[in-house]
Amino acid sequence: MELRWYHFAAWAAFVVFMFLMPEMVSKGTLRIFIFANFLAVFAISWDVLSGRTGYVSFGHPFLIGIGAYTTAILTKRFDVPVELSIPIAVIVTMIAGLLVVLPALRIKGSYFALITLAYMELIYQLVQVIRPDLTGGTRGMSGLPTLTRGAVNGYYMSLTLMVIVAFCVWLLMRTRIGTALSAIGMNEEAVKGSGLSVTRLKLFAFLLSALIAGLGGAFYVHYLGSIAPRALFDINFVFTIIVAALIGGASTTIGPIIGAFFLTFLLEYLRPYLPGAERYFIYGGVALLLYMYQPKGIYEIINQGWSKVRARS
Amino acid sequence: MSASLKITNLVKKFGGLTATNDLSFTVEPGQSVGLIGPNGAGKTTVFSLVMGEHRQTSGSIMLDGEELSKMTTPARIRRGVSRTYQVPRPFAEMSVAENIRVGLMPDSVFGMILKGPNRDRELELAMAVGFSENDLDRTPAELSMGDLRKLEMARTMATDPKVMLLDEVFAGLTVAEIAMISGLVQKMRSDGMTFLIVSHDLKALEPLVDTAIAINYGSMVAQGSYGDVMSSEAVRASYLGEA
Repeated sequence: MELRWYHFAAWAAFVVFMFLMPEMVSKGTLRIFIFANFLAVFAISWDVLSGRTGYVSFGHPFLIGIGAYTTAILTKRFDVPVELSIPIAVIVTMIAGLLVVLPALRIKGSYFALITLAYMELIYQLVQVIRPDLTGGTRGMSGLPTLTRGAVNGYYMSLTLMVIVAFCVWLLMRTRIGTALSAIGMNEEAVKGSGLSVTRLKLFAFLLSALIAGLGGAFYVHYLGSIAPRALFDINFVFTIIVAALIGGASTTIGPIIGAFFLTFLLEYLRPYLPGAERYFIYGGVALLLYMYQPKGIYEIINQGWSKVRARS
Repeated sequence: MSASLKITNLVKKFGGLTATNDLSFTVEPGQSVGLIGPNGAGKTTVFSLVMGEHRQTSGSIMLDGEELSKMTTPARIRRGVSRTYQVPRPFAEMSVAENIRVGLMPDSVFGMILKGPNRDRELELAMAVGFSENDLDRTPAELSMGDLRKLEMARTMATDPKVMLLDEVFAGLTVAEIAMISGLVQKMRSDGMTFLIVSHDLKALEPLVDTAIAINYGSMVAQGSYGDVMSSEAVRASYLGEA
């Protein structure tokens, strides 16, 4: 798809608006934005793999966790500087991504989803049992070096990461590689029948997804300053990532961002009324209704609304 | 543009079922050959074996003297053999232009990223199969069966084949659509394309082929000019059963 000036203008307006956010909202709201930014990064990472190619991963925290744990262990146990530990964490996550691509060469659909779920369970058990002196075992690790202090700086850091990831993925997916990855999701056999190596394309999608997950996981852990296996390798975390991508609009770059912001703020605004886990009941219901109304997500609803406005004017 | 396709002693067994039984024939460069036979004769299996979608039990498949047997499907397509399917396989949420674009892509990730789509070629291919410029943004859900077959032809042509395998290319088409596809095949034949065509519509097939091969139960029943094959007792028996 061709790039037009208004695409860049829209990006610029979005970035300017988001960077002015600390002037407009409270620090408490900024902290919600920070989690929304990180969730957007994770949802984009999931979407590159699952939204595009149709290989639905239920184990994305496996990749996020590899990135988070690698940098946490390197900085905490081996005093490696964060500037070095994060790139190493990303590379290690990409290598781990190769483990996920292996079953995808032979199986797809629900079997692939279950295997990825098994990967997450496997690492959840491993970090608790294998070398707890390094991983912190069931309690995880705290006192990790943080990249920023305060809500405003944390917000700018998470926003910069999200914008860079989103913009790069958006640019990449507008090239023919984006078309090819989406084609795999629609009809893998027809892609093969068009003379393209599906294995190579899947490998690219898995590595790109792992790169983003590793990057997001590493920055997230250095924002929090701690890591806890139970929070990271949690099925609710998986579903939040997937639902963010799906209700925002899978197979788009903007959709997962919209979905991440929508979900994070929905959960936070429900908190005063429903402080317990029952919030997830409402959130599930809203997600279900939205998904039933428009399976292509909020992005498509906005798109259709915009088309109607343009048609009238 | 054209190439020869030589099949020698091709055998394919699915467990106890022999789908292709010691089949040998050659399609010369620029020649158009009709592959006919009753349902279940093994015609589509031959196509799948040529494309590497199934691996043969034994035998050889050569394109211009080069053995294809050990190659993957994409590698065979890059060598110059491509096929259409009985049931068209469009990318459902992509436009006509994007569907054709997939066929035009280089088999290299960096090639896909660094070079933009060739819109002129997309339009040229779309128009070659009878689409207009306005059709480029239409999605498969908006297309008739005839249009879907045209789209499949365009995507197959986009891979720049030397040999095209057309599987039931007339199935589900109107008379006008059959005439359109026939015209396209005739035009490509005059440009030197090599064809192997499977069709149950024998009337539509006749003007498109130089020779015909009839198979039944995976074995060759008759080979020769279309008229000779169709008048063969063995072919009649395979279609109608033994008297």
